[in-house]
Amino acid sequence: MKRTKKPDLAKWLNRVAQMYDLFGPSLDGVVQFKRVKSSEQLVFGYANSVVPPKNLFLPQTECLFAFRRERGSIILGPAEGLEKERVLFAIRPCDAHSLLLLDKVFNGDLEDTYYQEKRRRTILVGLACPSPPKRTCFCTSLGIDPLVAEGVDILLTDLGDGYLVEVTTGKGEELVGLSPELFDPSAEGEKPKGEKGKSLEEVVEKIGSLWEDEYWRELSRRCLGCGVCTYLCPTCRCFDLTDVGSTLGGKRFRCWDSCIFADFTHMASGVNPRPTGKERVRQRYFDKFSYFPEEYGALGCVGCGRCSQYCPVGIDIRTIINEIIARGTK
Amino acid sequence: MSSNIYLPHLATITEIEPQTPDTTMLRVVLEDSTLAQSFTYRPGQFAQLSIFGIGECPISIASTPTRKGSLEFCVRAVGQVTNALHELDVGHKIGIRGPYGNSFPLAEIEGQNLLFIGGGIGLAPLRSLINYVLDNREHYGEVELVYGARSPRDLVFKGELNSWGEQEGVTAYLTVDQGDERWRGPVGFVPPFLREIAPSPQEKVAFICGPPIMIKLVMEALEEMEFPPDRIVITLERKMKCGVGKCGRCNIGSKYICRDGPVFTLEQLKVLPGGLE
Repeated sequence: MKRTKKPDLAKWLNRVAQMYDLFGPSLDGVVQFKRVKSSEQLVFGYANSVVPPKNLFLPQTECLFAFRRERGSIILGPAEGLEKERVLFAIRPCDAHSLLLLDKVFNGDLEDTYYQEKRRRTILVGLACPSPPKRTCFCTSLGIDPLVAEGVDILLTDLGDGYLVEVTTGKGEELVGLSPELFDPSAEGEKPKGEKGKSLEEVVEKIGSLWEDEYWRELSRRCLGCGVCTYLCPTCRCFDLTDVGSTLGGKRFRCWDSCIFADFTHMASGVNPRPTGKERVRQRYFDKFSYFPEEYGALGCVGCGRCSQYCPVGIDIRTIINEIIARGTK
Repeated sequence: MSSNIYLPHLATITEIEPQTPDTTMLRVVLEDSTLAQSFTYRPGQFAQLSIFGIGECPISIASTPTRKGSLEFCVRAVGQVTNALHELDVGHKIGIRGPYGNSFPLAEIEGQNLLFIGGGIGLAPLRSLINYVLDNREHYGEVELVYGARSPRDLVFKGELNSWGEQEGVTAYLTVDQGDERWRGPVGFVPPFLREIAPSPQEKVAFICGPPIMIKLVMEALEEMEFPPDRIVITLERKMKCGVGKCGRCNIGSKYICRDGPVFTLEQLKVLPGGLE
């Protein structure tokens, strides 16, 4: 384990920004992960970013390829790859865990080359969470330790005057190796103890019994269908494919979409298998607590609490979890 | 990016056969001749068709892999892409991704009698299997087809409906919801028509494709006729974008229709949450 002082961390990040495309929490209306040129553009002292860093891997809009009609045929242009390796600074443990879940979807049997390239070429620097956590945080209920970020290359823990630095991969070593003099290698283990609660297996076991439950109708009466819960969810990944331009030339884009939107499943024939809010709201929670566990062997929620914090009508996923446990049977 | 799952192959339209006022059949050939030869699929699979600048939509492959060289898609003009597909001419280029989805259970139905029940354009995916079976005639038993459309002019593949019915061991029963001055055949919806025909469930597998209400009522009718749920095979339709189980919209329970379907047995649908809705 290493240690670094706060001014030294800033110097190191400036060095990193010279060699890599550095992304970190910055203020652009709200706290979100943006490309920064120096450490001065970064913000500290927040609990978590409003927008999760999933957009660095599954951007809100992303060009998949360009096309143009030429002499009776069609030319398909290649997608733009990343110019440089990237460093994502200060990803929280819940969001780091969400990337491991998204990996299961996009790095599965049929690999998504766009997602995969961004994952492969991004070094993750995790930042353990402050105590006390945000009012809406509940990652410990999902078996995530707010002081341990799985899947990161370096984990930082704020100790007040400096950071504890745990380097867990070769890529992390390389990154620290850019300025080894800024890190004190003799630091001993003084890492604060984290907590890790019991995972919500009970929800997974019970939700299946609630398919016909009136609760989904009740919930949908409050839901405005705005979809903010899905856009700010680090594990929500639904997308649309859409063409921009004309038949003479243009681009095919992938854009975020949401199971909460009415037209998400609405077919051109007029048939909509999820015709009302009840079916749409139910889909979201069944996906998190039934379908995702069934397919990928893990809960589809990381307990970041963003959906509860930013829902305009105060729908709280923790209440929903409690209702599932109270109403459901095994 | 060697194998980009979102990048379509180019294909050329070589033939257009109008079927009904709103439905047409496109025959296409993949531009890359090596790929055109190696492209394999199974009856029941589908492809994503692109018109660059308009978009993509999932369409069943209506041709059979036993007849190589080209692919056939039967397209009803109902949305943006399907309407634009109707505007194309022979020689125009489209994009193709696929084949996607599971397929009809080919090995499991060998030696069985087969009952096909279709409504409207729902005959398209069944046609792939029907022609596959007729091209491998010795492996399959009797074939019955019960097919209906809104009106006589809405029946697709009219020429083949006649020629199939003329083959030994094949019986085709046609009905229309509403007749016209020249129609001499039965009039009525497919489910009650099927009850009238009352096919025996003996060593038989039933295949259904059509509008959702028809599928539901036909499944009920077949169960009453004592077809076991694992011998009632349904091919489903959902809105799809990616075709590979990632974009998140076509699922019934944890099953993605694009990847785990579109073909399911009634037995499988019964255990999926909302599978029979």
